[in-house]
Amino acid sequence: MCGNNGRYGLLTSVLIIMSLTVTQLRAETLQILTYEESPFALRVGKTHKGLLVDMLKELFSRTDLQYELKFIPLKRAIITTERMPGHCVLPVGRSQEREASFHWISPVLVSRYGLYSRDDVIIPLTTLSDAKPYTIGSFLGSGIGEYLTDLGFDVDLASVSAQNLRKLKRSRIELWAAELISAREQMQKQAINFGAPELIFYTSLRAMACNREMSLETTLKLEQALTSMYLDGYMSELYLEYGVEI
Amino acid sequence: MIHPNKHYLLFVLFIFLVFISFTVTAEFKPKSNAAKHWVNNEFQPSTLTVDEQMQEMAWFTSASQPFVGMKIRVVSERIATHWYEASTLAKAFYEITGIHVVHELTGEDDVIKKLSAQIMTQQNLYDAYINDSDLIGTHFRSNAVVSLSDFMKLEGESVTLPTLDLQDFIGLKFTTGPDGHLYQLPDQQFANLYWYRHDWFNRKDFQKRFRSRYGYELGVPQNWQAYEDIAEFFSEDIKEIDGERIYGHMDYAKTDPSLGWRMSDAWLSMAGVGDKGLPNGLPVDEWGIRVEGCHPVGASVERGGALNGPAAVYAVDKFIYWLNRFAPEESIHLNFTQAGEWPGKGLIAQQIFWYTAFVADLTNPSLPVVNQDGTPKWRVAPSPVGKYWQAGMKSGYQDAGSWTLLKSTPLKRQQAAWLYAQFVVSKTVSLKKTLVGLTPIRRSDIESEVMTQRAPYLGGLVEFYRSRGRDVWTPTGTNVPDYPGLANYWWQYISLIIEGKVTTQKGMDNFAAAVDERLALIADNNGMSCEPKLNPKSTREFWLEKTGSPKQKILQQPKGRTLQYEEAINVWQ
Repeated sequence: MCGNNGRYGLLTSVLIIMSLTVTQLRAETLQILTYEESPFALRVGKTHKGLLVDMLKELFSRTDLQYELKFIPLKRAIITTERMPGHCVLPVGRSQEREASFHWISPVLVSRYGLYSRDDVIIPLTTLSDAKPYTIGSFLGSGIGEYLTDLGFDVDLASVSAQNLRKLKRSRIELWAAELISAREQMQKQAINFGAPELIFYTSLRAMACNREMSLETTLKLEQALTSMYLDGYMSELYLEYGVEI
Repeated sequence: MIHPNKHYLLFVLFIFLVFISFTVTAEFKPKSNAAKHWVNNEFQPSTLTVDEQMQEMAWFTSASQPFVGMKIRVVSERIATHWYEASTLAKAFYEITGIHVVHELTGEDDVIKKLSAQIMTQQNLYDAYINDSDLIGTHFRSNAVVSLSDFMKLEGESVTLPTLDLQDFIGLKFTTGPDGHLYQLPDQQFANLYWYRHDWFNRKDFQKRFRSRYGYELGVPQNWQAYEDIAEFFSEDIKEIDGERIYGHMDYAKTDPSLGWRMSDAWLSMAGVGDKGLPNGLPVDEWGIRVEGCHPVGASVERGGALNGPAAVYAVDKFIYWLNRFAPEESIHLNFTQAGEWPGKGLIAQQIFWYTAFVADLTNPSLPVVNQDGTPKWRVAPSPVGKYWQAGMKSGYQDAGSWTLLKSTPLKRQQAAWLYAQFVVSKTVSLKKTLVGLTPIRRSDIESEVMTQRAPYLGGLVEFYRSRGRDVWTPTGTNVPDYPGLANYWWQYISLIIEGKVTTQKGMDNFAAAVDERLALIADNNGMSCEPKLNPKSTREFWLEKTGSPKQKILQQPKGRTLQYEEAINVWQ
């Protein structure tokens, strides 16, 4: 027999199912944290754009997982991800010290670093050590600046990367160490062209770090999707859109 | 009779040939001059005559012709030998061959990550890698690494140096898979040996005190009991020399990846965890992993492994006991790098686990451990072994950073990279490189007169490499199917034991279970040859009662045994 109780029962059931679905969806929506670094990830009004933003969109489209992208400073993003299930952060250097604290989806970013000289000066560099006599510009907190300092190079650190272009132009530094994609963009922005780097001397791989509690199933889905993006040429094409080869 | 037009054609052809030969000569001339410059000014001494060196360089110039103008990328860890290659040899190679090599330096961990990333993504990140032969078990199973044996016979034949002389390399066994294929070519090798203050050990007053207290001579310890006695003697009996606190033992235990290498670099082998067999124990190796055929079947005792067996527990217990009782108080908070400078301070009597990569650092005349004539006050000698060790087992660790080519690298780039790899290990440059980095790879260099002259300044390094010890101190072997995946487990599980969060037995049980779990996961990886096939779980007794590893607990303490330095070296002659 179907009375009001029946109708209420049906409505209640529908509501319960709907709320469960919403909860489930929310539970399965991964919170991806990143930080502003042009041209990899940046906010333009209410939209996001950049190489990593494009990469994430494609990555998740190849899985049945949902995600939400948020911008917060890197340090906070790493701490949040380490403490809160359902969170990931990218791009992060995958050091041995961090290795055990996260699940890793890698590599999400392949970065090549070059040494640029002024366009009217040629500094022939066969090996990195040929750059020993020169002052190399980098910026505070830069991994590549640290790398060169550790190797005993004369590194001049600016407070932000963009200052190095003006410093190089005015001969206050003789070489500028920069990641190829961001160097290309900074040169476009400042209408300065140093041409091709004298030497591409270092490659770094960066990863997406996810909270340890992320299930093996989810990790594998993301890993497989990322691998497929390399294997079918998506990643190579994406990098070419940003003007470099992997 | 030749038609006039033909005369004309012949004349044109003649002019063309003259032009071509001039161009080729012009191309070769500067390179030949460059070769002469480098041979005379940099690549001395050498085991080859200058003429032989020039012939080798001429071969490189000629074999490189199809690759002139290419830019090649290679990557290696950051040690003195590789810095010499990246800054000096890469430049020489460019001037002699016209191939531009960018030789990147980074951490060994990063090298492994990059290599793994290239295998996974099939992106050609680098054209060649120098990576530790510890990965041989990973490489031969992966189907991603080029078999150099095949390459040298087939696609790489035209770019394989006729004077490479493979038999001259001392580390080929470390880079050969169970299938008999050579997967890597050694580029640099260093060992992990026993280090001690030879001058202190020779003091008559110390010798007398030691003899009266322990009943045998103060000398190079042959077993862990003697090492412990000597540690106790210096830390707790001598205590001070010239008013300075000294210690009978040095080590490091910071919760850090370097703690992992400290353990996985054959510490368990030295204790006697594995089976007999060289370069690595079979069927059980020092990681406690048992193989059947070529298939890993387990690390836990319950599956026939030995990672949580009595010998492994003994190894870890000794490490912790010595650290807490005999080493400087700071040791527990130090990592590998921070601990490296301690022996040079002149406060340490002996160190059981000491990498010869530090030899160059400890020969600095300004250090208190070096005599005024530049000879060291210290010596290195073969490491003492634990109570489970038996003759026929490996005795310690040796690192063999080796050239590795991946199948995902385009053939032309593989060939150009292979030329560079052979250049930096060629007889023309290898002796000079050995003198710079002290990481010998060739028998001919080790046996050279130059090394005889240098020997007194290197504290026993040359004597060790001239002994059979170089075959008994070996890298991780082929039982380990996924070195990058499993290496991290060491420091993560051992650190919990050191921090007192779990007992040694419980910690090693957890560790072994985690390795078994990982082996099971790898087993599902399709396409791997010699994949893991886990044994079913049995009781511990079932395996411990069998002969070989895993071994039953040994209750009795052996008596300490020492030898004088010369005798200790002669053991391995």
